[in-house]
Amino acid sequence: MLLDIKELSVEFASMQGNVKALQNISFSIEKGEIVGIVGESGSGKSVTALTILGLLEKNASITSGSILYKGRDVLVMDKREQQALRGKEIGMVFQEPMTALHPTMKIGDQLAEVIKRHRKLPHKEAYQAGIKSLAEVHIHDPELVARKYPFELSGGMRQRVVIALAMAAPPDLLIADEPTTALDVTIQYEILKLMEELSANRGTSIMFITHDLGVVAQMCKRVIVMYAGEIVEQGETHQVLQHPVHPYTRALIGALPDLADPDEPLLAIPGESPDLRRRPAGCVFASRCAQALPLCQEERPGLEPVQQQNESHYAACWVR
Amino acid sequence: MLGEVIRVKPIIELIEVQKEYGSGTGRIQAVSQASFSIRQGETFGLIGESGSGKSTLAKIVTGLEHPTAGSILYDGKPLWTGKQFNRIQPGDMQIVFQDPQSSLDPRMRVKDIILEPLHALPSQARKEKGSEERLHALIARVGLKPDHLSRFPHEFSGGQRQRIAIARALITDPAFVILDEPTSALDVSVQAHVLNLLKELKRERKLTYLFISHNMSVIRYMCDRMAVMYKGKIVEMGTVSDIFDNPAQAYTKTLLSSLPSLHQKKVEPHV
Repeated sequence: MLLDIKELSVEFASMQGNVKALQNISFSIEKGEIVGIVGESGSGKSVTALTILGLLEKNASITSGSILYKGRDVLVMDKREQQALRGKEIGMVFQEPMTALHPTMKIGDQLAEVIKRHRKLPHKEAYQAGIKSLAEVHIHDPELVARKYPFELSGGMRQRVVIALAMAAPPDLLIADEPTTALDVTIQYEILKLMEELSANRGTSIMFITHDLGVVAQMCKRVIVMYAGEIVEQGETHQVLQHPVHPYTRALIGALPDLADPDEPLLAIPGESPDLRRRPAGCVFASRCAQALPLCQEERPGLEPVQQQNESHYAACWVR
Repeated sequence: MLGEVIRVKPIIELIEVQKEYGSGTGRIQAVSQASFSIRQGETFGLIGESGSGKSTLAKIVTGLEHPTAGSILYDGKPLWTGKQFNRIQPGDMQIVFQDPQSSLDPRMRVKDIILEPLHALPSQARKEKGSEERLHALIARVGLKPDHLSRFPHEFSGGQRQRIAIARALITDPAFVILDEPTSALDVSVQAHVLNLLKELKRERKLTYLFISHNMSVIRYMCDRMAVMYKGKIVEMGTVSDIFDNPAQAYTKTLLSSLPSLHQKKVEPHV
């Protein structure tokens, strides 16, 4: 097991009380596996990523849990150890490639800088290695692109460069937070294919954060569905998408216009996400759930196997 | 739907519209030879990727950019004479933008935001359309509460902000509304509410929509007919079911097959 997160809870201090952004999250990622984390804004998917990377803001506190990376707890490491992990062991790709790149530094130099740091190579060799890594993300004329500035490249090209940067060390885990959300669908398709290929060739695990269930279906073997800072369902992607158990997962799929009959209204979820400062005692989705029982308001359901024989599909719901 | 094919009057008609930016060697054709018409009461979808020219077309239709060639007829009358925009009846055409965060003035109260388009109207019409009852009925219809009126945009979620933007567009009783990526910045469950609302409003108020989006599923769900834009040109046009079932152009096929679908795993694009 490459990454093993147990009972992780994170809070943010605010003037109106503490925002409980993550509540007892547990999941793991195996070596070479692509795991999708899906949820809407405020579900805690990005906070999970930032916590693993040690990049939480100062007002955040980790109130419980552990994050084991290759058996070592990231949360008890000091700053230097965490820094050594970031980039070298765990690569990152974020939504907006322009913010991840240095705006006034040529692509080749940016890559060389990263490679020098992680692989301890002299500049010239690092620059050559950078050009090689551009070729590996299928940039046709890597020498030419290396001499360009980020603003001279298209969004899709920039994201390829960011992926080349993230994979340069090369890391064992890649955390990708909405890496294709800002891109056109045809470019998205190419970037997804590229990430899949890199993962297959190098055995890199990918934690793929997205709001797009279609992207999950295409990319991920397993999916974790988050809602209001909790994991409500997880399992094999095709299982979860075709036989969703948690009412939230079902509602999320039902709200998509993809398969909807244009003559019928979309199945919108009533109500709003709960206030994360005052979490309900019971199920976090109960107030919006059509099937909620009295028990759902009182007691929080744990993440349990959907069927006794099936140890790969879990849901946190009292209604079965 | 089929019955309506019998000659419904177009509300807007674009005839070989062209837009060039720059001059000399730096010239860029943002839109070339775009022709289509939108019939009264239909939702016409315009789909394309970034740089395809779909937003430029929206700007030309709303009077923000002049076309360099071609003509646009609104209700049979030309919208542009050269660089001069012939203002139609004020408030008859409205627009809802993608990002309600930036399309609502952060320092205006919701009530003033919604009523602002009425300033373009003659005082008599302004008084009638801006009456308290009409305003309250409208905000109730889009799903806002009376006490929201005195608040500022930052106090609302993305979905609520888009409801404010929709109310602002409808206060003038428009016949034609341009929806430029109205749900692209919203979460899926919020998008469902807004799309449902837009469909209901269209039915109740007999609106005509030009729906601009890069999202094929949203276009399929919302529109009657559609045009596919690629590099400034309309490459395919037809009813939504025709284009989704039998895409003729290679680009449309690529677009359709690049769309990650929930149930088909890994489809190779046709290109």
